[in-house]
Amino acid sequence: MADGAALSYPCRVPAASPQGVTVIADLAPTDRAATGTAPADRRPPEPVIETRGLTKRYGSHVAVDGLDLAILPQEIFGILGPNGAGKTTTLEMIEGLRAPDAGTVRVAGFDPMAQGDEVRRLIGVQLQTTALFDYLTAAELVELFAGLYDVDGSPARVAQLIGMVGLEEKRHSRVDELSGGQRQRLAVAIALVNDPRIVFLDEPTTGLDPAARRSLWQTIREIRAGGATVVLTTHYMEEAETLCDRVAIMEGGRIITCDPPAELVRKLGADATIRTTVVRGTVPAEAVRGLPGVLAVSEEPRDDGTALRIQTADAQGTLVGLLELATACDAALSGLAVNQASLEDVYLGITGRSYESGADEAAPKEEPKGRRRRR
Amino acid sequence: MRSFLAMVRANLKMAVRNRAALFWNLAFPALFIVIFGAIFGRGPGISVRVGVVGPESAFRTQVLAGLKQAQVFTVTQGERDAELHDLAQGKRDVVIEFGEAAPGAVPSVTLAYDQASGTSAQIGLGAIRQILVATAGGASPVEITETPVQAETISFMDAFVPGILAMSLMNSGVIGLATAFTTYRERGILRRIKVTPFPVTSFILARVASQLVMAVLQSLILVGLAWALFGLHIRGNPLVVLLAIIVGSLAFLAIGFAISGISRNTETAASYANLVTFPMLFLSGIFFSMESAPTWLQPITKVLPLAYLVNALQEPMTRGNGLDAILLDLAVLLATFVAAMFVAVRFFRWDARAT
Repeated sequence: MADGAALSYPCRVPAASPQGVTVIADLAPTDRAATGTAPADRRPPEPVIETRGLTKRYGSHVAVDGLDLAILPQEIFGILGPNGAGKTTTLEMIEGLRAPDAGTVRVAGFDPMAQGDEVRRLIGVQLQTTALFDYLTAAELVELFAGLYDVDGSPARVAQLIGMVGLEEKRHSRVDELSGGQRQRLAVAIALVNDPRIVFLDEPTTGLDPAARRSLWQTIREIRAGGATVVLTTHYMEEAETLCDRVAIMEGGRIITCDPPAELVRKLGADATIRTTVVRGTVPAEAVRGLPGVLAVSEEPRDDGTALRIQTADAQGTLVGLLELATACDAALSGLAVNQASLEDVYLGITGRSYESGADEAAPKEEPKGRRRRR
Repeated sequence: MRSFLAMVRANLKMAVRNRAALFWNLAFPALFIVIFGAIFGRGPGISVRVGVVGPESAFRTQVLAGLKQAQVFTVTQGERDAELHDLAQGKRDVVIEFGEAAPGAVPSVTLAYDQASGTSAQIGLGAIRQILVATAGGASPVEITETPVQAETISFMDAFVPGILAMSLMNSGVIGLATAFTTYRERGILRRIKVTPFPVTSFILARVASQLVMAVLQSLILVGLAWALFGLHIRGNPLVVLLAIIVGSLAFLAIGFAISGISRNTETAASYANLVTFPMLFLSGIFFSMESAPTWLQPITKVLPLAYLVNALQEPMTRGNGLDAILLDLAVLLATFVAAMFVAVRFFRWDARAT
């Protein structure tokens, strides 16, 4: 698996990885995309995290709706979905922070509510909010958490953890002097303090600049190479695509689909996505749908014209047809681009909305405000 | 245990580095001591509590009438021993003791007074002397013996510092803990602690332990300052004072903890904390005697925990009394602690979102 890191899809899990990890695609019985794709030739390994019928309600709002999930050892497992999809609530129930209303959770065979202490020693958690004390330096915080877990908090160990997230130069800076991204990385270092078997990262790279994001991806790969399982939520399609072995797309408290990213893209059946803007005249969407290879077309009015997004199984045929159509309609196309289909296309195809626009909504993320209740 | 000590150590580091809190806990009361010490030393006493003992005589009746007329006196008549005991307890400012005398003759008069009540006793003594001399008639001067209850002089500072100390313990306890836990909750620190094996009760106890360490240090600094600048004299057992400091701090920490539970966010916690501390500050007799407060206000002053902490500190520090003198105060403070903890536990929340 580590060898694969140099390729364009470094974290794709083959049928059998060097660690003997096998992908079982058929995780959710309700998962329409996964039906009938489970490899039968290998005995699947014991999942390290397993949920069955996991449900959480806030008043009449169902935040998580009968979730079945199996996460395998040493996977990097991504959970994608718009705000309010139930991602954080799901993580919280697995971590033992929230009691499920129905269903079961097993983390390495333990129930996080009844056997919380066993689970808490096995897991490392980075929460979405910046859960750090002010007035302590980065090194002091790591040392404090080592103390709380009663594990090695020697200066060498602290330096190693801080080094893993690239904060060497800031180790004597106080938390209140760190930037948002630096705090985020420090929170990841703290999540690793007890050498956890399972690491939960809730939007670990939100607010990081691209370089810091890439460096954190490397850290996450190292965590996995060290034998841990990583479960992360993310808002970045690119992150899920390059980092995760498998991705679950959640919406409305349910998992819509769950597969390796490349598998998801392949199932989409799309060869490519063609994007262009009609800046003069009109190209009827109906006519575009009739072009060879076209799978789906979406139109969006813009200031400078109408943006078209066309998913196609035959890029060449569609492109030639589109240009002929535009000429026939006496329309002008601008910014014509052809891209290989990506996870974003899968996401758009499933949720019918752009991920990034959903990502900009302010917190609080999971529960609608009016439906809060006391626990 | 290692986890607990690591948390206490981190808490103390944070407390020392939190300059704003340090100011409120230390500089603010220190400023009070310096300013009040520089200005006062004397001040108008508005009510003087007088105990009258000794055999009946025409002279005694006339003096009582004179005291009534002067209006600043609250007069109690009783047995000699009981009145002197009340004086020692700070419940009387002056005790007038009439001696035996032949009918028609003027008896000898002994004035006993409590130096701890400072200004009231001094003003009272002057007025009482005038009344005695006037009643006896200029021709036959009264023999007046004055016996201060305490052998040495009690300065304004000796009586004032316990109050300021109580104020600073209240502020650091209530405001410190109320905002700290609300902030922890808002930032998700409580949730973060909950996903470690460190029990949250230990987390709370570690915070309480470090607050107690800070409270003792804070008390040492304030007392040291008053000693160095104004020659503060502590008469009683320092261990009794320490006990009062710890029990008082626990009561106010619990109040702060309860406030953090019922507050929505840090801002509301801060205003609730002020809402609780300010009335106590002015109604607990630290800055002015509650004797002069209107009668409808009097019962309120009797239920404020701060008043009991002030007394629990004044008895050993100013009057040199032992543990037995503050048992009631300690009981009230412990009851406050239990009641506030009950509220705190009932309303404790992990999560800012699940309100």
